[in-house]
Amino acid sequence: MKNSTRRTITGYAFATPWLIAMIFLIGYPFAASLYFSTCEYPPLRGPLFIGMGNYQELVQDAVFRQSMMITIVFAVVAIPLGVLLALTLALFLNSRIHGRSVYRVVYYLPHLVPSVAVAILWMWMFNPDFGILNVALSPFGKAASFLLRPFAAVALNVPPWVGLVFVIAAFALWRWLKKKAIDPRSVALIQTRRLTFGRWSEKGFSIASRLTALVFVIAIVFALALWLNPIDLAKIQSPGWLTDANAFPSGLSAAPSWALWALIYMSLWGVGQMAIIYLAKLQDVPVVLYEVADLDGANWWQKTRYITVPMISPVILFNVIMGIIGAFQVFTEPYIMTSGGPEDRTRFAAMFIYDQTFQYQRLGYGSAVAWVLFLVIVVLTLLAMRISRERVYYAAR
Amino acid sequence: MSTTDKPTRWYMAAPIHGILLVGAVFFVLPLLWMIATSFKPLEQTLKVPGSVKEALFGIGHRAEIGGLVYDVVLERAITPSVDDPYWIVRPLEEFPNGEMTHPFGPETWRKYPIFNQDELKRMDTIITPAMEVLADRKTPYNEETGILSLLSGRGVKAELVKTLEPAEDGEQLWLVREWRPEDTDTKEIGSTAADPTRAWAVLPESSIRESIRSIPQNYPAALKRVNFWRSFLNTMFVCVMTVFGVVISSLIVAYGFAFIDFKGRETLFKLTLATMMIPFPIVMVPTYLLYRKLGWVGTFKPLWVWSWFGSAFFIFLLRQFLLGMPKDLLDAARIDGCSELQILWHVVVPLTKAPLAMVALFQFLGTWRDFMGPLIYLNNTSQFTLSLSLQAFQSEHGGTPWHLLMAASTAFSLPLIILFFLTIRTFIRSMATSGLKE
Repeated sequence: MKNSTRRTITGYAFATPWLIAMIFLIGYPFAASLYFSTCEYPPLRGPLFIGMGNYQELVQDAVFRQSMMITIVFAVVAIPLGVLLALTLALFLNSRIHGRSVYRVVYYLPHLVPSVAVAILWMWMFNPDFGILNVALSPFGKAASFLLRPFAAVALNVPPWVGLVFVIAAFALWRWLKKKAIDPRSVALIQTRRLTFGRWSEKGFSIASRLTALVFVIAIVFALALWLNPIDLAKIQSPGWLTDANAFPSGLSAAPSWALWALIYMSLWGVGQMAIIYLAKLQDVPVVLYEVADLDGANWWQKTRYITVPMISPVILFNVIMGIIGAFQVFTEPYIMTSGGPEDRTRFAAMFIYDQTFQYQRLGYGSAVAWVLFLVIVVLTLLAMRISRERVYYAAR
Repeated sequence: MSTTDKPTRWYMAAPIHGILLVGAVFFVLPLLWMIATSFKPLEQTLKVPGSVKEALFGIGHRAEIGGLVYDVVLERAITPSVDDPYWIVRPLEEFPNGEMTHPFGPETWRKYPIFNQDELKRMDTIITPAMEVLADRKTPYNEETGILSLLSGRGVKAELVKTLEPAEDGEQLWLVREWRPEDTDTKEIGSTAADPTRAWAVLPESSIRESIRSIPQNYPAALKRVNFWRSFLNTMFVCVMTVFGVVISSLIVAYGFAFIDFKGRETLFKLTLATMMIPFPIVMVPTYLLYRKLGWVGTFKPLWVWSWFGSAFFIFLLRQFLLGMPKDLLDAARIDGCSELQILWHVVVPLTKAPLAMVALFQFLGTWRDFMGPLIYLNNTSQFTLSLSLQAFQSEHGGTPWHLLMAASTAFSLPLIILFFLTIRTFIRSMATSGLKE
């Protein structure tokens, strides 16, 4: 027997368990669910081919549309917040201070609590009557309510789209000034600009671009605040959390409901694990990069923005993609805490599939929903990779 | 934030400490609240804590009754007046508690709403001549005739012990009742309110002291309710099976991917990575039907058999480790005439103990927390894993006995936290590695 043939046989022998799993536990279910999605499938009889019937039905299913919407809104809000929080935490935990290992353990501990216990614990935290969260947050709620009062007063007279115009205008201005501030194209251009705007133009543009960046952030807050109603200011002080189906801010119907905000808040509690991953990556960033930056007189923000973040960007992208897949599998928390309520405002996609499959015994319909879900995940993942293509740095390997 | 080796100066460190501490409070608060609640008596969970002390500890009262100091519950405020008179009397004949309302009457019932038929029957204690009872406007005592009018309309002979007068300085009087740790179990509470062996008295507020009331007895009560030890064994069984399955099978497959150069290896490996993208809901229905056809629904098999065929993520992880091993070692073993399995066992396993421990830990955590799997495949309560038992206990009670729920949740999380502190090095390393795939 030839050596390579023998190697191939041995290789496949070693891969056999996994081949079996790939065929029977992944490949077959994957293909079968595609077939089932085109079938009416009462569990006691066999599958009955009905073509695109399930898909036509789910386009018109309001609960399905809402559950898809909720899942996407959750992903869009919770993932960036989570990444931002984890990154900030990792940066702080990476500083050389006393007791940092204690902090690391403290921030990591929540991740160890099993999800069922997390769900029950947070039901108790969010309890509107006796929960500790509203007690602990009440000073912050009062402060926020006080700060937002002028916005809410303005909001009564100004339509919300004005805020969007502000945001877009501020963004455009910021980018324009930034381009002016660091336009490396040619010395001649800089010369011309000096002639036009005077010799302080470089510095002036750079300061102006930073100021407009600030204006941009304020414009976002302002735009969001324009959807506030006076009732939100009252609610912010003592939210009903899981029991409240109303959107916040209440003028924007696509915004998460209070119940969904509660689940988003809860998801941020487990962010310590992500922070530990970032931390490990931060420690892999070559020190020499920072030393060079120090020589160039870079400040802390510049080092973070132009060295740290790019160096760990692959992990951030990985976390975002895992977060997207994870958002479409959120099940335990809404199942235990809200059973999808109030008013289906926390009926996540995975829960919708579970209900259709095991509560209503509609295996075909459940499979169709699962496939739509899969396609959405693929599209979102590709989108995330596409957007980040030029922003993610892969070290040469 | 400084990345050089010199320690941060204090004026830089102080604000960092400040921010981290504030953050830590919000991260620890839920855990603290869970543990604090798990040691509190039921009545403490049904009010907003008024102080930090009350939030952290259960607060109760102590008072002296008949020369002995008891833990007591303040049943209700008593304000005797001409319109609202109270007497403490000793009946001279027997009658059932149901006919008399105080102190074992509706007031207490409203406080402890969880009753079932059995407990209501148990409340029908017989009041005997040795006991004292509290009579009020609704069940008045006539001092001249010596007759106590019961709620049923019947009158019984009774002798007066004391007529309650309003305190001179306007101090509040309280009806207090002896409290015992077992009262914490909500199922028992109905009977404790009706328990004639409990000491009770009407006392002025100044003689009642506040005290910390921490009750570890919540734990045995909660563990009994979630059928803890049975569920623990079930969970451990599934955990052990999946951990061994995943470690053994993933190592074998990873070895093949790393060291045996066979045709189609790269394609197969890429396919393996691609399977990680498939979300569980997609394969849920056909997998369920497959297991049902095999007759495995209602057994543990769907929860662990898969693990003996490998897991994409762990195969990937172990392959990365194996690729980092010196190849010369394997070649030397091959020249010595070792078979691939012998190499795997004698050369590779001793060198990959750390990553294997990591995989084992990951899988253990994953199985311990799993909820959807048991929910779909288990239907007999004696087979429930801890996740499922806890959820069943919660949904059965709709969330009133928070102290017991928190005790059960703490007991459920504790093994993982202990495991964490025992294996902290492996743990942190493995958590950090989980983000390294690119």
